[in-house]
Amino acid sequence: MSHSAEHHVTGPKTYAAVLGGLLLLTIITVYASYLDFGSMNTVVALLIASMKGALVALFFMHLRHDKFNAVIFLMGLLFLAIFLIWTLFDINTRVTVLPTNLKAPVQAFPGAPLNKPVRPSTGQPVGTPHAQ
Amino acid sequence: MTTATHTGHAGDGNSKFLQHHFREMGQQFEAAKLGMWLFLVTEVLLFGGLFVGYGIMHARHPEAFMAAHHHLDKVMGAVNTVVLLISSFTMVLAVWAAQTSRRTLCILFLILTLLCAGVFLVVKYFEYSHKFHDGLLPGKYYTHQGDTVPGQFMFFSFYFMMTGLHGIHVLIGMIAILWILVRAIRGDFSSQYYSPVDITGLYWHLVDLIWIYVFPLMYLIS
Repeated sequence: MSHSAEHHVTGPKTYAAVLGGLLLLTIITVYASYLDFGSMNTVVALLIASMKGALVALFFMHLRHDKFNAVIFLMGLLFLAIFLIWTLFDINTRVTVLPTNLKAPVQAFPGAPLNKPVRPSTGQPVGTPHAQ
Repeated sequence: MTTATHTGHAGDGNSKFLQHHFREMGQQFEAAKLGMWLFLVTEVLLFGGLFVGYGIMHARHPEAFMAAHHHLDKVMGAVNTVVLLISSFTMVLAVWAAQTSRRTLCILFLILTLLCAGVFLVVKYFEYSHKFHDGLLPGKYYTHQGDTVPGQFMFFSFYFMMTGLHGIHVLIGMIAILWILVRAIRGDFSSQYYSPVDITGLYWHLVDLIWIYVFPLMYLIS
């Protein structure tokens, strides 16, 4: 592209090197699946997949020379991360409701007078002035 | 887009493919690429929903997913991964050939890409027919006998939804590449005008990108 300087033309040699890297990482990911990293198994697999993904996006999809569209793509990944992480927050903080899981209800606040409504935040009776 | 504008714009770096609402070829190219990238983001989020669902069910039922994934053939999955990576490589070379006005090479690489996509779908067909035969189907259609771990149908619900949606994307990609191939044979593309090759390439690489994540999550659970 002699007419516009912003169009970079990458040659077949670079692409062949990238393909070599991708095939090597595929072999590594298959090999890694036979190793046991305990709870990190999925993390290792996703890490290798992300390295391959980065190669495809940066070289094959030309994001290396295309900052504007790279930002757009990263925004999409950001929203995917929000989607995933917030869903996992919900799943991981939710307890299966079984009778054995239920906590006993709070009957009294220590030091508070009985039979009087208490302020939940302080445990002191309603109407007590706030501590200065 | 009329051929009448061809001679009118000759000499100012614009080709007959410049649509009237763009100022020059560079602007038209950037606009087309931006549109494709925005579409690709929606694709990432479309598959993202399935990946998040898969993550949750996998985290909650690790034994069922672990047992179910043994029905998948790692070799077939790995072969398809390699085939798709090579097809991405030939696609990017087709884009390069168009960028540098090499018409014959562009046609050759597009045909190679189509062949790889065909191989991918043939391997997928053998995998699917094996699972149909064994009754390894999603949800209530799961009829496989002799399981020791319950709940394996869940894995196959995700397997068929994710690989099925991906397969549909491969088919659509093949149609797009076929259209590009016809235009390349007609001689439409040169260093002046190659945006259809470029944005079809972007779509094809995304299909590859999604498979890069599907492969370890489905075939390589350990």
